[in-house]
Formats: sequence, structure tokens, C-alpha cells
Amino acid sequence: MSNAIELQHIRKYFASSQVLACDDVSLSVESGEVHAIVGENGAGKTTLMSILYGLLTPDEGQILIKDSPVRITHPNDAIRNGIGMVHQHFKLVPSFTIAQNIMLGIEPNRAGFINVNSEAEQVRNLAESFGLPVNPDLPVREISVGMQQRVEILKILQRNAQILILDEPTAVLTPQEVREFLTVVRRLAGTGRTILFITHKLAEVKAIADRVTTMRRGRNVGTHFAKDQTIRDMANLMVGRVVTLTVEKGPAHPGETVLQAENLLVAGADGIPAVFGASLDVRAGEILGVAGVSGNGQTELVEAIVGMRPVDGGTIRYLGQNITHALVRERREAGLAHIPEDRLTTGLNLTTNLDENVVVTSYQHKPYSQQGIFSFAPIRALAQEIIDKFAIKSARVGEPIKTLSGGNLQKIVLGRELKGDPKLIIANQPTRGLDVGSIEFVHKTLIEARDKGAAVLLVSVELDEILALSDRIAVMFAGKVLAVLDAKEATEEKLGLLMAGSLELHEANAERAHV
Amino acid sequence: MKALRQTLDSISIPIIAILLGLAASSIFVALANVSPIETYQKLFCEGFGPRGCQNFGDLLFFQVSNGDGGTSTVFSPLYGEGGSRIALLLEQATPLILTALSAAVAFQAGMFSIGMDGQFVMGAITAAFLGYWVPDQIYLLVGVTDPEAAPIILKTIMHGVVPLICLGAAMLVGAIYSWIPGYIKVKLNVNELISTIIFNAIAVQLITYLVNFPMRADFNNIARTRRIDDTAWLIPFNRGIFQDVEWFSGARVGVGLIIALIAAGLVWFYLRRTTAGYEQRMTRGTSLFARFGGIPTGRAVLRAMLISGALSGLAGAIAILGVERRVVDGFATGGTGFDGVLVAILAKESIVGILLVAPFFAGLNLGATNLQFGDLPRQLGGIIISFIILFNAMEDFIRQRLRALLRGRYWTRKSSATSGESTAV
Ligand SMILES: Nc1ncnc2c1ncn2[C@@H]1O[C@H](COP(=O)(O)OP(=O)(O)OP(=O)(O)O)[C@@H](O)[C@H]1O
Ligand SMILES: [Mg+2]
Repeated sequence: MSNAIELQHIRKYFASSQVLACDDVSLSVESGEVHAIVGENGAGKTTLMSILYGLLTPDEGQILIKDSPVRITHPNDAIRNGIGMVHQHFKLVPSFTIAQNIMLGIEPNRAGFINVNSEAEQVRNLAESFGLPVNPDLPVREISVGMQQRVEILKILQRNAQILILDEPTAVLTPQEVREFLTVVRRLAGTGRTILFITHKLAEVKAIADRVTTMRRGRNVGTHFAKDQTIRDMANLMVGRVVTLTVEKGPAHPGETVLQAENLLVAGADGIPAVFGASLDVRAGEILGVAGVSGNGQTELVEAIVGMRPVDGGTIRYLGQNITHALVRERREAGLAHIPEDRLTTGLNLTTNLDENVVVTSYQHKPYSQQGIFSFAPIRALAQEIIDKFAIKSARVGEPIKTLSGGNLQKIVLGRELKGDPKLIIANQPTRGLDVGSIEFVHKTLIEARDKGAAVLLVSVELDEILALSDRIAVMFAGKVLAVLDAKEATEEKLGLLMAGSLELHEANAERAHV
Repeated sequence: MKALRQTLDSISIPIIAILLGLAASSIFVALANVSPIETYQKLFCEGFGPRGCQNFGDLLFFQVSNGDGGTSTVFSPLYGEGGSRIALLLEQATPLILTALSAAVAFQAGMFSIGMDGQFVMGAITAAFLGYWVPDQIYLLVGVTDPEAAPIILKTIMHGVVPLICLGAAMLVGAIYSWIPGYIKVKLNVNELISTIIFNAIAVQLITYLVNFPMRADFNNIARTRRIDDTAWLIPFNRGIFQDVEWFSGARVGVGLIIALIAAGLVWFYLRRTTAGYEQRMTRGTSLFARFGGIPTGRAVLRAMLISGALSGLAGAIAILGVERRVVDGFATGGTGFDGVLVAILAKESIVGILLVAPFFAGLNLGATNLQFGDLPRQLGGIIISFIILFNAMEDFIRQRLRALLRGRYWTRKSSATSGESTAV
């Protein structure tokens, strides 16, 4: 087989952050191959792919396509060479329809007037020919994340991409969507297309990749056949040391009830109730996992508990006190910490620097400010402390955080939230987009916090994570907590059934029988 | 080294934008059938140069004839024979600095408020009214019938107090006039851009009415209010401390400029050094982040609107107390407030930027107003400024082009090197 792409001795140094993101990286990908790229957060995976796609220019090195050197200095060059990229963060226009998004910039037109019907028609044909059905007329803001990704893929297929670069395509998908996505990838490879995809989920690599390249600190530390490597091999190669993939934790010693939510009624963004009648409680020194297919009210539940979303009915108690309508600040001052689902717009302010991000929950207190005026030395010390404690590579005091990799950003959030030993930690998808080493670290940190007596509410769509960390497990379905199980009796099958709402069905049937 | 690169980087785009703006505007100059070069020469001379300035060179060094027939070369900005133009430009930049600060504070809370015009004229009319009313009341109180004959000591005390009362009241009125759009934004989510435009229109109508009817002072052709009392006057430098300095002689620049500079320092301190400023900046970044951190976002926005309004009100008061001394019909449509918005945008809301851009802006306006050249209308200044803002807003585009240009060079050099190699082989 011939090489679809060959990268030779790519080097990229970012002067602004003084990071050598790619250090003499060479890589060849055969056509028709599914090639996975794995590596720690900040290893330079996205940078390498951005170079291939023309978003960045390398300092040194060259790119060969079908064995002849090409010059790619702009995404247009890449597209002309049959390369398409789906970014880590989708770049769709929410108010446009699926068809408009896919055809953006290449609209079929006559004398400048867009032919809307043929636009939708073309998209429908395209979608069918690849077995990726979509409804072209739906606005993107109304479709699920999995569907958005499908739109992104169709968008590059419409531009005749033969080489598809997918940057962490599965990070935001539900397990169900992931399975669908993997079959799509296989099918595309079957049509002779070459697929380069970045992931942190090593099981996916085993499942679909032909070969896997591991990057560490900007270097390619090895390309192997996926079938020859175990997940453990890959993890160790990535991190450069032996990683414990299983979580070690002792038995919980639950104390008093810290959080008690009763019969909560919470409206979603569209005003329709997303949580109705959910109840749960979390005790000090335990981790309560909340499992569920995403979109069953978990996000709204979390936002209600932390005070970012109004509660329409029911009560929330914190250490016996009613905080149902308390302000975010009041809850935080009382010892609540929140690791939000969306770190890019909720957990962090990417337009400003590290210092102003780490101080957002404590700036009004001494020593960070006095009489409303900042004292910068303690703030810088706080930022440095978080960098050191959480080993946040390439983050520096007083510098912008915009260019940090996803894992490092999450560590900043963790460092800020876990500072000062909170009594209640609400963690929503805390390991999304993190590498195995960082996941290990987050898990350890959460368990440590638990052992120090914090109550932890962990929401995750990853069943493995729920099973590994939780002492008790609550399953959410359609806005309700269907059941709370002891972690010891929970199995993947049992949870799976509950997550699909089987209990609900059961009850409904019983009711019907009753009538 | 890094700091140098950063400053170079941040000023290169405005400078390119200015050059491109001038180039683009020259199309309109050429349409009027005059030479752009000569026009610009004249424009800059009239705006920034010493009296008698003829060409670009004169902007820096200027030949003057001294009494005995010989000539000597002087450094133009310091040359003040007949009053320096720079002083005039500073006079006009003073209110601009304040309204630009006002816009910057609102913008940095995520509020696209353009209500500076309304707040400016509301502040102005307040100062104009109190500027004669308060002294009247004081004279009445102490029983002075002829202000001219009032005891010096009384006048001195009044001179210390009355301007402060006028400035303070104007700030208060401006602040309230800005707070209302803020409040209906926070509580009812009414778009601030629309509400401030409406508030500007209301203010203009109100002032026109006041000047033409209740506050009209005399039967002058153009309606005007009474002149403020001398004790309310913010005395310009040329009547006060710098009476003998010729440089200041032609301009009414004065204490107002010092107030504006102090205000700039305070605004910088507020935005960068206080928790209140931090709260409003974070609210702008992403309000989700601010709410997540527990920042009281509504309060931060309202505080920003109050400060913004107070600054515009202060600008209006200074324009009256320091320069105009009365409100004349038509004053309300002068547009100083909106010019402030443009200055803030051009300066990218940076305080230092505002202090640099406001005089430049004032100079261009001054030059265009004084320009008597061919059939060119004074609106030329506006055209140039609009183009500069347009090109400045195209920063990303310009950056990309620049980079592509540089990269093009890099690649050709590289490829020629490799082709050289291959021939050698
Ligand atoms: N535009 C930029 N300017 C400065 N530094 C950058 C820039 N982009 C990336 N970096 C730095 O380069 C390094 C590699 O970043 P990159 O985004 O390629 O990592 P990654 O392997 O994709 O990580 P993740 O798995 O977290 O997405 C990081 O340390 C990052 O901070
Ligand atoms: Mg990445």
C-alpha cells in the first residue's frame, strides 16, 4: 500500500508559551488506514494535526501526500489536497440549518442566488450515500452533540475529503453515540478513505484502529499495530511510566448528610421541566455517582444544586439548612465546590489570564483583596501553588490560558475548586477529554477529598468511571432518580437496564394493568 | 525584548490602519479634483502644525523669521507664536477623553451602551443651569445685589465650591441617565443598544426645548441659556497660571484636561486593581463564568453603567464650565458622546490608547474643519476617521495578509535554496 500522508521531521515551537509542541515528528499513514494518535494532554497532537490541516505552519519539516511534497499553508490548501478536519470543539453556526452548515461557502447558486431546495437535496443524497442520515432542514442549535458531529463529518465529505482528521471525536459523545460513530469510521475506511483520529479512550483504539502512534512531549515515541498492543502498553508508553488503570480506594466512612435534595422540579433551557421529582442525598465521606444517558436531567440537576438554575419546586438542604434559593456565592462560601461540565465557557474565562481565573471564587476575601483592592502577590502565590500541586505543564502565572491543552485547563478548574477543603464537591463529567494519566490523577484527587470527609456528587456518562469511584449509585432517567444502588450490588448490566428506563416501563405497565 | 515586541505588535495595526484609511479617503479627495498629498499636508498642518505650517516637514521643525530678518529653526510642537494648535487640540480632546473612558467602562462590562451623547448633554445642561443658579442663590443669601462688587473673599470661596457642585451634579445626572438603560437591561433584558439610542434622542429633544423656552436667556438670534457666573468658570490656563505663556494663548484648555487625566488614572485603577472592576470584566468575558464563580453580575453591570454615565456627565459639565460657558441651541447635536464611542473602539478600550487616540481624533477634526481647499467639505475628517476605524476593525484580516506576505518570502527563499541544491546535485 502507498502512503496517503507522510509527515517528515515536523517541528513547531510556540514562542508565546515557550513550548516545543512538536519536536522532530515523523509519521506516515497508509491510505485506507484508521490511524489513531494518542498521547497525554499537551503532547502536541492537536498541534500536529493543525499543521497538516494548514492552520499552523511548522518551523521545520515537510508534508508529503501520495509521496510528493506539498505546501500547505492554509486550510484551503489542505482541502484542495483532499484533507478535511473535524475540530475538538465544533465550529458550526447554531442558527443555520444542517444543510446550510454543510454547504456553507460552497452553496449551489445561480448568479449568486442560493438554490435552497437543491441545497437540501444534495445534503440528503450525500448523507444517504454514506449511510449517515440527517434531516437537512433542522437548525443545528436543536440537534444533539452526536448529530452535530455527523454534520461536521458530512461537511468535510461534501468537500471530497479523502483524508479525515478527527480531533477527539468521541470526547463529548454518549456511549451509544460512540458505538454508532465507530461503525461510521469503519465504513468510511472501507470506502478507501484514510482516517486519522485523536483520542484519549484507549479502548476505542483497540476497537477500530489499524495502527496507533503515541506522542509524548512533542515527540513520536512509537507507531505500532493496534492489535499488538494492550491498553496497558499504550497507557504506559503515553505517560512514560506505569499507570494504574484501576482505582484503588478503601471503604467509605459516611458521616452526616451534607446534601439532601427532595422532589426537585427544575426547568431546562427551553422552559420545559428537565428534572421532575428527583430526590437524592449525599453524606460526608462518600461518593454518590449519578449515572444516566446524557440529557436525562443530570445537567439541570447539577445547575440547580449549585445555584445557577432556579428551582421551581422541592427543596435543597445543605447540612440541614434550606438553600433552595440561595445565591451561588452563599453556597460557595458555605463550602460547596463545582467542577462544571463545560470548562471552556463556564469553568474558565479563556479571554483572561491564569491569575484572574484561579481567584474567581475567592477574590473578595483576604488576602487576595482588601477593601475592594487587589493584592497581587497572594494571588500569584495561589496560581503558583495550583500549578505546582497539579503539575500543570506550560501554564504560567500571569499568562493567558487560551492556548493550554484541555487536560491542563481541567487541572486549573480542579485546583481552584478543591482548594480550601470543600465540604461538598459537585463534579460533572470531571474527566471528559483527559488523558489516562490525568484521569488517574482526577480520580485519586476525588477519592482523597472523600477520605478527608467531603461529600462528593459525581455525574458522569462513563459507566466505568461511575462504577470505579462511587460508593452508591443513583440512576437518572427522564428527570427522575429511578433507583439508588449500593455500588457493591451494581453491575454494568443492571445500570444499563435502569438507564434505559426499564424500571419506569415496568411501573407504567403495572399501572396500566391496574386500570 | 518581549515587552518591546508586544508594544510594536500592538501599535503596528493602528498605524497601518491610519495609513490605509488615508489612502482610501484619498479617493474622495481625488474625486473633488484636488491632490491628496497636498490636501493631507494641509489637513495635518491645520490640525497638528504650528501657525503658518505649509508641509509635512513643518509638523516637526519649522523656520521662523526673527525680528532682524534672519530665520531660525524651531521644534514645532513647542512653538507657540499666536497660540499653539496643539493647545487647541487638547481643548477639544478633553471631553473626548472622558466620553471615551465612559464608553470603555460600559463596554468592559459587556454593555454595548452608546448613550454617551445623551449623558453628555444632560450633564452639560445641568452644569449650565447650576452655573448661574447656585451663585444667584448664594448672592441672595449673603445679600449681595451686584455680583461685580461682591467681596473678594466670597468670590474666592465660591470659586472653590461652585464648580465642584456643578461637576458633581452633572456626574450624578449622567449616572442616573445611564443607570436606567442598565436597569431595564438587567431586569427586563431590554437591549442596551436600542434603549441608549432612544435615550439619546430624548435628551436631544429635551435640551432643545429647555434652551428654546424655559432656560432661554435673551432674544439672541440663536437661542441660548444665560452665561454661567464667573465663579463657576473652570478658568483656562491662558487666563490663569499660564497667562504669560504664548503657547496656551489661543485655546481654552484648562483644569478640565487635568480632571480628564486624573479620571483616566482612576478608571484604569478601577478596572485593573479593584474587585469591582474585576467583577465587571469577568461578567463581560462570559457571564456564565461570572455566575459560576458567584459574582453578582447584575450589580457589576449596574455599577459600570453608573460610572460610565458619570464620566459622560462630567465631560458635558467640563465642556460648559471650561469652554462654552452656556448652552447654545444646536449644542446637543454636536456628537461629542458618539465620537467618544469611536475613540474607545479605535483605542481597543485601552486607557493609554484612549489618551493617544483622543488627541489624534481631535486633531483630524480640527484640521478638517479648518481645511479650506478646493471644494472639500469639512466632512473629510469624518470620512478619514471612519475608514481608519474600518481598517482597524479588520485587524485579523490585515494580520493574516501580513503573515502571508512574510511567509511568501520565507517559502520562496526556502524553495529557491532547495532548487539550488538540486541543480548542484
Ligand atoms: N497557539 C498556541 N500558542 C502557544 N502555545 C500553544 C498554542 N497551541 C498549543 N500550545 C501549547 O502546545 C502544547 C501542545 O498543545 P496541543 O493542543 O497540541 O496538545 P494536545 O496533545 O492536543 O492536548 P489535549 O489532549 O489536551 O488536547 C501545549 O502545551 C499548549 O499549551
Ligand atoms: Mg488537543
